[in-house]
Amino acid sequence: MRAYFNDIPRTLLTMAYWAFVLYLLVPLTLMMAMSFKDANFVAFPIGDWTLRWYAQVMQDRQFLEACLYSIVIAAAATFSATVIGVWIAMLITKASSRWSGVLFALACLPAVVPGMISAISLRVFISTIDLPTGTAAIVLGHTVHAVPFVVVMALTRLRSMPPNLVDAARDLGADSIIAFFRVTLPYLGPAIVGGMIFCVLLSVDDFVRTFFLGGYRPTLPMLIFAKVQGGMSPEINAMATLVLIVTAAVGLYAEYMTRRSRSR
Amino acid sequence: MQPVVQFENVTKAYGQAVAVDNLNLSIEPGKFVTLLGPSGCGKSTSLRMLGGFETPNFGRILLAGKDVTNLPPNKRNVNIVFQDYALFPHMDVARNIAFGLELQGKSSEAIHRRVTELLALVRLEAFAGRLPSELSGGQRQRVALMRALAPDPQVLLLDEPLSALDAKLRLQMQIELKSIQETTGKTFLFVTHDQEEALTMSDVIVVMNNGKIEQMGDPHTLYSKPESVFVANFIGEANLLKATVIGKDGDKTALRWNGFEVQATAAAHAAKAGDTACIVVRPEAIQFSAKPAQGVNAMPGKIRHRVFKGNHTSMLVEVADGTRLNALVHLGDAEAVNGEDVWISWKPQNATVIRDEAVPA
Repeated sequence: MRAYFNDIPRTLLTMAYWAFVLYLLVPLTLMMAMSFKDANFVAFPIGDWTLRWYAQVMQDRQFLEACLYSIVIAAAATFSATVIGVWIAMLITKASSRWSGVLFALACLPAVVPGMISAISLRVFISTIDLPTGTAAIVLGHTVHAVPFVVVMALTRLRSMPPNLVDAARDLGADSIIAFFRVTLPYLGPAIVGGMIFCVLLSVDDFVRTFFLGGYRPTLPMLIFAKVQGGMSPEINAMATLVLIVTAAVGLYAEYMTRRSRSR
Repeated sequence: MQPVVQFENVTKAYGQAVAVDNLNLSIEPGKFVTLLGPSGCGKSTSLRMLGGFETPNFGRILLAGKDVTNLPPNKRNVNIVFQDYALFPHMDVARNIAFGLELQGKSSEAIHRRVTELLALVRLEAFAGRLPSELSGGQRQRVALMRALAPDPQVLLLDEPLSALDAKLRLQMQIELKSIQETTGKTFLFVTHDQEEALTMSDVIVVMNNGKIEQMGDPHTLYSKPESVFVANFIGEANLLKATVIGKDGDKTALRWNGFEVQATAAAHAAKAGDTACIVVRPEAIQFSAKPAQGVNAMPGKIRHRVFKGNHTSMLVEVADGTRLNALVHLGDAEAVNGEDVWISWKPQNATVIRDEAVPA
């Protein structure tokens, strides 16, 4: 205890950290608490507790359809972002050092362009090529957004790959395609899984791009947005809590996978 | 006999830097051949060209008489054991070894039989299901060797495969490698910068320097009859004496060195009277005596430095003009103490006359 009083900077840092944790967790805890409130409006005190809202959410067709739609879009976007991302990462490792910098910067661009700008430009782009708003456009938007994350993760793994591995496969009779599928891809495995989970989370979470590119079917964030506009209710809290738990679980798993890929 | 590997006028340059310079080499089947040289001498580049990972700028490479110069690695019947082993980390030992066999389209039964046979050869049967990360360095080395041998290549290429092992294990693997080569009867082409490795295992050593072959021959010939200063220095230790040729008598050459008339054996170098030449005297060829030895090549000297090395003693003997010679005395032979005046000599057949060149520092 004395050490804490003696080491003031350390004490301040520790306090700042716990203040941050509190600031992060209090709103989430409140939101989760309200989802168990047995009343129609969101406010203290909670009074009676209930699981009614969860039962209602699980039977809400709109909610279930939005979930399904989000998952379908996430799956499609993840698949294409992974293929494109791994492909770009391979290209960057093969390119000369000057070009690889340019390729890498271009590949990372979608991650740093503001979501709103990206959404508007994509909207202009799809109307230029006569692609209607809707599923395909959303998948396109989400894919572009997710590619940089796959590239970075795949590239990190590729750079740690012994260069002789592919040579050894070639030497033992594999052509470059077989060598890629039997040696490079399995080696990239953990990074790809991590990258894919990241893509899914980005896609399911995305609101701005979906809002500009979507049609009439709502994805999960759009449904929640629509419901919030109709007034807060504990049902929304229940939905949000479910989303939070699922994404947190998936996110932690992804972190675990990337850690394992780095340590191997 | 048809050579299994032929390099014909092979040249490989990277920009201005010539890695391999007009290399001509043929290798007989069933031999353990070592490319020996310092780093950058072109030995690894030659190996990679044979493996198909580099393409020569000029010349041809033939494998069992067939031109393979422009074939990709997967179309050549040679396999490499890489320096870092390059085992596939996600495959267990058996699948690593099976990799090449699967690509040959062998039946799973034949693959299983071959993998079992190879694992038995290196006593790793119990490790078939292990991942490479669960093996020791020596075990990985053996798996890499078996993986490369599995598809039955015409030549097995080994790119400094022992350099990552510690000294004791390296010695053990040298003996094991040689015995595997003898058991399988395969042609091994081994690349190393370690002369001791080369001497231990090789049937033929090819000494390379600056992209060219300096000398090629069996270990004994290279050691006892070096043809250049480079070879004399690179393989073992050598005293290099600059001398003037007086005349020849059969295979004996008389030379004047340091005011003495000495005799040595002329090997490849045809020196005429009046030429300057170099005499190579190995440290262990120098003999000590209290009185001038009978015959030739005797001269007085003084012991300047003496290091006891266990089974031998290493001596530094200073002779008339201040030149210091390395000498080696085996345990139990006549010895001298530091500062003592002695007579040294060597037998003419234990000294070789070579071309006079700048002696590298």
